[in-house]
Amino acid sequence: MDNQQQLENLLTTVDNITVNLDNQRRIRLDVPPKELPALLELLKGRAGFLHLSAISCVDWIDENEFELVYHLWSYQINTLVSAHIRVPRDPGVYISVYDLFQPAAFYERDIHEMYGLYFEGSPDMEKFILTEWDGPPPMRKEFDSEAWVNDHFDWQDYRPDWLIEIEEQGGGIETRPDEQRFSQSKGK
Amino acid sequence: MSDSQKKPNDIDYHSNGSLLNPLKSISFFARKPVTEPLEPRIAAERYRGFHVNDWEKCIGCSTCQKVCDNAAITMIRVPSQKEDPLNGVRNLRPAIDYGRCCWCALCVDLCPTGSISLSREYVHTCYDEQLDSYFLLPDPNGMHNQDYGLGWQKTDENDMIDHNRQIMSEISPQSRSDNFDEIVVGYDKQQAIIEASRCVQCGMCHDACPTHMHAPEYIRAIWQDDLEEAVRQIYRTNPFSHTCGRVCTHRCETACSIGKRGEPVAIRWLKRYAMDALGDEQVRKLVAEDHADASTGNSIAIIGSGPAGLTAAFDLAKAGHKVTVYEGLNKPGGMPRYGIPYYRLPADRLDADIDVIKDAGVEIICNSWIGKDITLDKLQKDNDAVLLSLGLQLGRSTRIPGADNKHVLKAVDLLNQIANGEKVKIPESAVIIGGGNVAMDIARSLARLQKQKFGNVNITVTAMESFDHFLADPEEVREAQEEGVVILPSRGPQECLVEKKKVVGLKTWAVLSIFDDKGRFAPHFDENDELCHDCEMIVEAIGQMTDVDLLGEKLTEQLEWQRGRLQVDKYCRTSQQWLWAAGDMVKGPDVVHAVADGHIVANSMNDYLKSLKTGKQKS
Amino acid sequence: MRPENYEPKHHPPSTEFELNFGPNHPGIEGNYALKVRLHGDTVVEARADAGYLHRGFEKLMEQRLWIQNIALVPRICVPDPSPMEVAYSMAVEQLCGLDVPERAQWLRVMQLEMSRITAHLFYFGGHAATTGMYSPMFWGVADRDLVLDLFEELTGGRVYCIYNMPGGVRRDIPEGFLERLSKLLDYLETRLPEYDNLFFTNHVLVKRARNTGSMTQQQALEWAVTGPNLRATGLNFDVRRDDPYLVYDQLEFDIPVEQGGDALARTLVRRNEMQQSIRILRQIIQQLPDIKGPIRAPIPNPLAWNVPAGDTYVRLESSKGELSWYVVSNGGQKPYRVHVRGPSAMHAVQVLENLSKGCRVEDVAQIMFSLDACPPEVDR
Repeated sequence: MDNQQQLENLLTTVDNITVNLDNQRRIRLDVPPKELPALLELLKGRAGFLHLSAISCVDWIDENEFELVYHLWSYQINTLVSAHIRVPRDPGVYISVYDLFQPAAFYERDIHEMYGLYFEGSPDMEKFILTEWDGPPPMRKEFDSEAWVNDHFDWQDYRPDWLIEIEEQGGGIETRPDEQRFSQSKGK
Repeated sequence: MSDSQKKPNDIDYHSNGSLLNPLKSISFFARKPVTEPLEPRIAAERYRGFHVNDWEKCIGCSTCQKVCDNAAITMIRVPSQKEDPLNGVRNLRPAIDYGRCCWCALCVDLCPTGSISLSREYVHTCYDEQLDSYFLLPDPNGMHNQDYGLGWQKTDENDMIDHNRQIMSEISPQSRSDNFDEIVVGYDKQQAIIEASRCVQCGMCHDACPTHMHAPEYIRAIWQDDLEEAVRQIYRTNPFSHTCGRVCTHRCETACSIGKRGEPVAIRWLKRYAMDALGDEQVRKLVAEDHADASTGNSIAIIGSGPAGLTAAFDLAKAGHKVTVYEGLNKPGGMPRYGIPYYRLPADRLDADIDVIKDAGVEIICNSWIGKDITLDKLQKDNDAVLLSLGLQLGRSTRIPGADNKHVLKAVDLLNQIANGEKVKIPESAVIIGGGNVAMDIARSLARLQKQKFGNVNITVTAMESFDHFLADPEEVREAQEEGVVILPSRGPQECLVEKKKVVGLKTWAVLSIFDDKGRFAPHFDENDELCHDCEMIVEAIGQMTDVDLLGEKLTEQLEWQRGRLQVDKYCRTSQQWLWAAGDMVKGPDVVHAVADGHIVANSMNDYLKSLKTGKQKS
Repeated sequence: MRPENYEPKHHPPSTEFELNFGPNHPGIEGNYALKVRLHGDTVVEARADAGYLHRGFEKLMEQRLWIQNIALVPRICVPDPSPMEVAYSMAVEQLCGLDVPERAQWLRVMQLEMSRITAHLFYFGGHAATTGMYSPMFWGVADRDLVLDLFEELTGGRVYCIYNMPGGVRRDIPEGFLERLSKLLDYLETRLPEYDNLFFTNHVLVKRARNTGSMTQQQALEWAVTGPNLRATGLNFDVRRDDPYLVYDQLEFDIPVEQGGDALARTLVRRNEMQQSIRILRQIIQQLPDIKGPIRAPIPNPLAWNVPAGDTYVRLESSKGELSWYVVSNGGQKPYRVHVRGPSAMHAVQVLENLSKGCRVEDVAQIMFSLDACPPEVDR
């Protein structure tokens, strides 16, 4: 816990951040976007946060913001720090942290491809998974992939004998699968 | 890793291995080879193979379809299967698209009845042109009519249906037996949300409800804590929601899918919760959104202000007609006010319902007996249409010897007096004849009055039915017994014993059977098993009928009757074009049926008035 | 990308040529490709090319109810699906504040360790194939099948178990299961020396794997290498021990470490991990009968289940390295965002590209297999 204490002391030296201890080995930080690179450098240099576990992007479309979460692990003090920042969805640009963490290149490339959020200074913003996709970045909330699928593919039109027989008796298909999906219900 | 920690067969990274090591496997030539037969091996006992559906158990509720992850389930109407909305059975059966199914077995885990299972069969191949064989209507026989046995099926471990409803708290028998305070406390918010979350939205309740309330929708809204939406959904079909939220016969709960194996969702209590929790003012404001802007110029008279009459009045007023309701007693509400004791339905809740109806522009004139204060002829002349919704206000008599004594009373009359706050002579001991809910109502009301006056209860209920076939709701019986009422089943009343013009007791015989082979009422008694129940008062609670004197001789002759009951068609029309009849007087006693009738009448009158107009324009 | 859409960067005359390695190359695991630039036999540059197996899991999960996703998540990684279910379930449990009954936690560990064995058996067969040895592949796959038989008994499914759900597991062990598992472990233990002879101490493997695809610990940390690959560079770190989840803190096991940092070191780490998994399973067989209680915490009706708003980062040690799930709820019926950080995303892209540089073309496949990268998980 000494290490933990050390980390907490370290964090008090940074301005404008909110520190939230979730449990023993998890710390949540809310950081203004422009402070983040300096914070990451501090964590890497002074507390052994060498491992960039992931960068996650969340599209908060109602607030018109992207949330970026940098998950860092320190092999030295066995603690995970999740640093949260919010950047405007429009124009959707942020700075790369590739010079601090090489793995950032992959995550930034992935986020650019899936969300259209551009990272200045990232070494490689080329397409990776969706090389033949020219639609909008698909992970954005406004892209309705199910609607896209329904536009591009047909449901299999089965006509088995038993169905024809039931139709002759006056029965038949009552509710198709897509008509009653809970996951498609509106609202929360 | 230091040497001491090494396991015997740890391999040294720096060893170069040997080219000879792999040759040791040559010894395998001497071993018995592993041979797998071409026949598919038998799958494990909980294997998730193709679907099997027990059609006897399946009720077509579509829950499997809703939880299906891959939209692989289509519901098929199978006409050869039973369709029974009142008991929550539809003739729908799930068909599986094996091009989409991923064999996760969530359909099995969530099936309310446990009809669907997965079998231990897992091989199916076909040519392109046989692709239809991928779409299957599972029955108990398995995919290829071969019995492989059941694999993954419903067990207590993986059952995801919550069988237990939220417990409704009640006032204890000790503190409720000397007053008319409401017994049922009602759900709080947390209980209501949990109870609402049990619903699988199958809509069986909607189909079973006489007035087809949108229960799935309002339950969903309650779960989402959107009370305004819940009340909006409730008012689509039922302006007597406070009343029905308390005393409805809840056919919905009989039909509920969850009730097939567990306790049904407490739909009635949820309705009550939504209405109470939103508050009367909010309800009035919300319902007012839906009122008519323009008057049609038609006027309608409704006789009787019970649920049937007022529901029709509410609908018709919202449609822009001028509606006047005539009530003979001094307050509107009909049977819910004068027949149901306050401990089940407090008067202010009924008032709240009626206030909303009045807001719609309905005029209610009380203390106005048709036939005495105004004649029916005048109503017919002054209005475009008239509705009779008189209710059942006359108690039937057993007509046993002594039943004409003045201390032998009718339950309806007595309940009426108690509700009206009139002074009632409270007997020190009383016997009730009858085993229905009305008998319980009067027994429990008298018990309360006795407790207030004498501090103890001396009420005996004698019913002809045995407890196995009892007419009153089980909870009514239980609560009555808790309050000190003695209930004797299988007793047939024979004579009211009278001494010096005073009732002293009731003589009963044990009942051997009530109906004959053809189902007709023909009771059979054991004369040797005779009991005398000492009492000061006897109350008959064996059924009610309608007082139809107001119709007059001429009209009575013109109308059609069967066994003393006025006959109407499915639109509640009588044989007279201007006259409708609805509610208890034509359908028998039930609030929610009366509400349903009210809507039917309103629709039918609307159509009639429209046709009247177009007819006028043509001529 | 499809071959017809591929545009070569270099045209003759050139001393270099480009080779499209995959997506259906026998030396490549799953549908994955490497665009390799060669100078003679030597790789000058390698570019990973994914997308042949993209199913959009993260998007699909946003459109499904919390419960429905349990059927979806194991499919993210075909060779080692169980950790996916457990991670997803743990994430939802953390968001809901659900306490998982102890027995369920033990059953989960059992499933995870069985899954680790199947993954490693699958892995070493693949690695052998890339060095030209095909018998170990048959052995590995055949023995893996025996573990899958037990999965079938326990969960009803052989590969995609769909055994977990938020709150616990779906079924308890069937009768006699622990005895059968114990017998299987006995058998696997007798097989280990045979594997050693055939493969792990085979001079052909040692010769080809030593110093192939080497990285230093420093490099491994910079490239975010995790799991067995990281332990093969000498760092003694395992999420199970150092960031414990479930009941791993009640179990005794060693963490195999090698110093070489090359393909041989990696394969030896995995071999020893199989042994440790057997050790863990033996402890479970011994202790599970004494752990009573339910196997699932009560959860609401799945059709009316809102998970409280919040986010959580769940981390666990899969057979391939650090598996993390970032799950966000906005208080609704469906996840708002799910981010799967699979270990292979790092190993199969940056690490593979870096390690391939300068090696000979025939070693590229071996490097990829020795990293035990899982392409379906890169694509998601």
